[in-house]
Amino acid sequence: MKTTILYVGSSLLAPLRQAEEEINRRHRTGLRVAAHNFGAPLSENEWREVERDLCESEVVFVIHVTDGENAARLVPLLRRFESKHRAVVVINCMPELMRRTRMGKLRFGSATEERGDEGKANASGKGRGEGRARRLVKSVGSWMGEQARGRRRGVSSRHAQYLKLVERMPSLLRFVPGAGRLRDVKNYLYLFCYFLQPTPVNIRSMLLYALKHYAGDGRLSKIEVPPPETAPAVGIYHPDAPAIFETFDAYRRWYERRAKRAKTPPLVPSNTVGFLLMRTNVVSGTRKHYDGLIRAVEREGLAALPVISTFMDNRDACSRFFVEGGLSNDDGRGAARSRVSQIVSLTGFSFVGGPAMNDSEAAVEFLRGLKRPLRSAVSLDVQTVEAWRESWTGLNPVQAGMQVAIPEIDGATEPFVFGGMTAEGVEPVALEERCRRVARRLRRWNRLQNAERGEIKIALVLFCFPPNKGNIGTAADLDVFPSVQEILCRLRAEGYAVEVPPDADRLREMLLGGNSAAFGAVANVAYRMGVEEYLRLCPYAADIENEWGAAPGHVNTFGRELLIQGVRLGNVFVAVQPTFGYEGDPMRLLMSRGGAPHHGFAALYTYLEKIFRADAVVHTGTHGALEFMPGKQVGLSGKCWPDRLIGELPHVYIYSVNNPSEGSIARRRSYAGLVSYLTPPIEDAGLYRDLASLKEVLLAYRQSADEGEREQLYAVIEEKAAALHFAGG
Amino acid sequence: MSDKPATLSSEERDRRVLELWERVVEVEGRLIPTGLHVFGRASDEQECADLLRMVASFDRPECGARALTDLVAEGLGLGTYDSLVGDKSEDGWRRRERVDKIVRRSVEIFLREGSEHAARLLEAEARVSAEESGRVFALLSKIREQLRTSGELDGLVRSLRGEYVEPGPGADIVQNPSVLPTGRNTHAVNPYAVPSRPAYARAERVVSALLERHRAERGRYPRSMALVLWGLDNIKTQGEGVAQALWLLGVRPVRDGMNRVSGVEAIPVERLGRPRVDVLMTVSGIFRDLFGATMLLLDKAVRCVAELEEPAELNPVRANVEGQVKADGCSFDEAALRVFSNAPGSYGTNVNFMVTDSQWESADSLGDLFVTRKCFAYGRDRAGIALEGREARGALARALARVEATCQNIDSFEIGITDVDHYFEYLGGVSKAVERHAQARPAIYLSDALTRDARVRSLEEVVRLETRAKTLNPKWYEGMLRHGFRGVAEIESHVTNTFGWSATADAVDGWVYDEVARTYVLDTEMLERLRCLNPHSARSLVARLLEAEGRGFWEAEAEVVERLREIFNGLEDQIEGVA
Repeated sequence: MKTTILYVGSSLLAPLRQAEEEINRRHRTGLRVAAHNFGAPLSENEWREVERDLCESEVVFVIHVTDGENAARLVPLLRRFESKHRAVVVINCMPELMRRTRMGKLRFGSATEERGDEGKANASGKGRGEGRARRLVKSVGSWMGEQARGRRRGVSSRHAQYLKLVERMPSLLRFVPGAGRLRDVKNYLYLFCYFLQPTPVNIRSMLLYALKHYAGDGRLSKIEVPPPETAPAVGIYHPDAPAIFETFDAYRRWYERRAKRAKTPPLVPSNTVGFLLMRTNVVSGTRKHYDGLIRAVEREGLAALPVISTFMDNRDACSRFFVEGGLSNDDGRGAARSRVSQIVSLTGFSFVGGPAMNDSEAAVEFLRGLKRPLRSAVSLDVQTVEAWRESWTGLNPVQAGMQVAIPEIDGATEPFVFGGMTAEGVEPVALEERCRRVARRLRRWNRLQNAERGEIKIALVLFCFPPNKGNIGTAADLDVFPSVQEILCRLRAEGYAVEVPPDADRLREMLLGGNSAAFGAVANVAYRMGVEEYLRLCPYAADIENEWGAAPGHVNTFGRELLIQGVRLGNVFVAVQPTFGYEGDPMRLLMSRGGAPHHGFAALYTYLEKIFRADAVVHTGTHGALEFMPGKQVGLSGKCWPDRLIGELPHVYIYSVNNPSEGSIARRRSYAGLVSYLTPPIEDAGLYRDLASLKEVLLAYRQSADEGEREQLYAVIEEKAAALHFAGG
Repeated sequence: MSDKPATLSSEERDRRVLELWERVVEVEGRLIPTGLHVFGRASDEQECADLLRMVASFDRPECGARALTDLVAEGLGLGTYDSLVGDKSEDGWRRRERVDKIVRRSVEIFLREGSEHAARLLEAEARVSAEESGRVFALLSKIREQLRTSGELDGLVRSLRGEYVEPGPGADIVQNPSVLPTGRNTHAVNPYAVPSRPAYARAERVVSALLERHRAERGRYPRSMALVLWGLDNIKTQGEGVAQALWLLGVRPVRDGMNRVSGVEAIPVERLGRPRVDVLMTVSGIFRDLFGATMLLLDKAVRCVAELEEPAELNPVRANVEGQVKADGCSFDEAALRVFSNAPGSYGTNVNFMVTDSQWESADSLGDLFVTRKCFAYGRDRAGIALEGREARGALARALARVEATCQNIDSFEIGITDVDHYFEYLGGVSKAVERHAQARPAIYLSDALTRDARVRSLEEVVRLETRAKTLNPKWYEGMLRHGFRGVAEIESHVTNTFGWSATADAVDGWVYDEVARTYVLDTEMLERLRCLNPHSARSLVARLLEAEGRGFWEAEAEVVERLREIFNGLEDQIEGVA
């Protein structure tokens, strides 16, 4: 006996394998469970396997498949093997797949879900249970398609209906007769109930139930399949806790007891990270990646409040668990009652709208009220950790689109990969090094929230491209020195300990002049980092030596020292970022791929983190070189240079509003929160000098009715046009 | 030249006058940045009239507002504004000028006296209902209000307090007024939404203008083109550049049940009404990163067209792929590679660095560098395996050898082809690479949607336009010089970027350098200003002019060269002395 399950995500494989083993142990059916992750387009080899499995299976499940290409190819396969399959169960997929559901008489069509019987049922008017069951199956069957059509305003009400459905379904089903016309409808809804609560037991029951009713195997026809186990729709999860908490108070009591006992951090709002977890992973017990990140955060001295995400609309879970007394959209006092300092979404979906659409307006309105930043970290659910590690691309297009691009539209930042599926494993694992990096960055962000302004140190980094003194303060459309001056004044007003120069010109002189001449440097040298110090402080120096030779090299150096250019203004350091360093090096320019930043570049960021001890880095204007350093495109690892350079430092990037593309690279590859600036004033070019007088003569010609005058004017026109180089084309 | 007028008939003369007129008002009405932004400062009230008029010249379906130009043209009974713009006769110009004048006055009155007065004017002079104009002025009022204050420093301070910073779209104000207020966390787009339906519709117009222009000048449609695709414009236009590539190939995007663009479908060639065009796509590293799914879509489109059973003259993609398979004995997969970008995790062509730093001997090396940096193929092979940037230098070289025309989109007033070094590194770089491999310089086009008459221009035309509207325009350079030090750097950077078009595409007329020298260097008063404000950039500017002369892009008079050398030496001395 064989069943094939085509699924998406990281929560189903483990319970499926457990179910296979358990069913074979108990019932000796020789059941084979073939499972394929359909989250991303498959290769031809993978399709061949799918085809073979589909050909051999009695029962097929298709779950959560929303990839257009996979669906387009799967539909004809299901049609081809229709006669072999005793049942095809399609759950929460796109409409063209939903229509491939085949269970006895049940068909999902565009208009009717069960051919032939609809009219009879209505005519006989059999009880409310029957009508309800039909409506239910119809709404379940068309749900994904409805989502995709996405009438914005309706998300939250449809979502509420869905949640209600989840809770009420099992009790509703009790009234549906299990035999006769409604048999298949009821069976579908039963399978759906198991799927909604994908505990290992329910997933086993889901398989058994389908096999019992449709596989036509005598060994299973008599068995009892347990009714669906229920799990709370929402709640708070913690790896150390014995169960899911249904209320915050229960969680707090447990957390505080644990804090006393195990000396873990207390649950105070300013120190607590709120996590949003995928319900399916929590319920199915595939949550090692969550556990890893939660523990990493607690190791950094932060408390964790991990809640089960409400999938389609995270506002429910957030206002229920993250805000004292709940948060309605318009009350404006959410921040004061927040129980968390930051929200980290691990769902991989938009904040409001789930997998099929995103209502970013609703998300923004909610988060604005809460004032807490939204981070979105990525679990490798449709790609393996190994593939990610080897790839220069990093995240595949599906993950980059769904788990990075869409959350960004809600204002999410810090798109770290924290865990994922391995090639051989059946459940996601945590990537310890990434989890530690995320946790430390969260701690740093918390410090920015909580520390006295007077203690906070900020690095303002300026660009200079091409590298000569005339270009200090390079930035698209921005006059950088007056901008920095405005920023310094504002920081002082906010209580930062900054020494503000008298004006922007003075600031520029301090930076351009100073001791720069003595070192042949572009700007004032604020610090000279000896080679030994650099090698001690910069953990990546050896990798750089492979590319650029022994430190210190020849870029931004003086003798055996690396030059850190900038001026110190109290707790603010205005730095000048070195350039790539290969602009004037024909040999390096010709390399098809970059290898590493030069020592001087790494030295600046080493200095900012380890010597100046910045609490945050602000890059000033569009754009610098850090975010374009070699590494994966998105979903960086600890070997990628932008990740290494920015390290644990919170990063803010002042960026032209007219450049969303390069700005997005900065956010994805160097974890920058962008703060947009306006484009410059624009006006009509107007005309000047001879151009203006040419227009006058042209106008005179056009207005003149006198042929003689026109001839004369034309001669003038030709002369002027030639002088203005308008001759010819 | 001087004996020409006598030979012209009065009709020819009239036509020539109107042609010149068009080119002069094209310069006059081109929107240009007239300064730089200072972070945290509100924008100057005086400066926003032209901006608001331009905003009002486009339909704004998101707030139900129609373009004032259309409302006025229709109110006057002149038909659509687009038809006026298309009519190049004297009468056409007069009608268009009549509309423009009313629109201009209404915006002036709006700024001076408010919406009601402006609405009354429009009602009286052009029968535009107050309801229609009211929607436009409501939008303009909102923009004006938002420009009066700045939330940028607040955004920065919030960000440094670790608070939530609201996301916002990225574009310029004319393109998308909802970029205001600034001080927000600019986002990109969902790659699966690209190209949007409106983008696909707009792209058809641009593509047919492009193909018709090429045919008018060269006698036939191009059989093969190279497009430069960037993230910048494709984010703001929801994929118009992507859609242009699809139109050239003759395919349409297919949305799946989740409303995501995940496939393509060939448009029957008889419905297309012209042959398909083989399209080589040279893609920025940024586009590659932001539009991973779109990269696969573009590759899929090429493969789909390559497999259509169509005659060679109507389907050059198929012909070229088949031809290459036969000639080289390579696989279909190899012969169908058309989507190229940097090595994974790398960015840029480096052509700009090489030019800016004068690190090149012959222009060929610039074309070769482009190929070295961009020869990584993307897409998926027949086995369904993602290429993820497979090095394919030979495949790129063969595709380049077929190219007859190159093209890129310009998308905003601030980021023009002489404002940044990226246009010449890409469009210039690919054109030079084509020249190298095809043994002929391609026709080079730029398309822009900055004004109502979406225009396709030759590179040379755009260089002249940018030079006249910006580099040589006192309104532009005085605006820059108000920013002192940084302004001089901006001027120098424009000259260098213009030079980049000489280096990569030989697209700069000698007079441009004459006029640049006359405006900035030979004018002693101006030179003195530059020298005082930023001697470093002044020196770079003079050095660049000397380089243009030295490399033969500019036949300067001997005395001029001599004078430039003296000035350069003087600046060197000053800087050394200062240092």
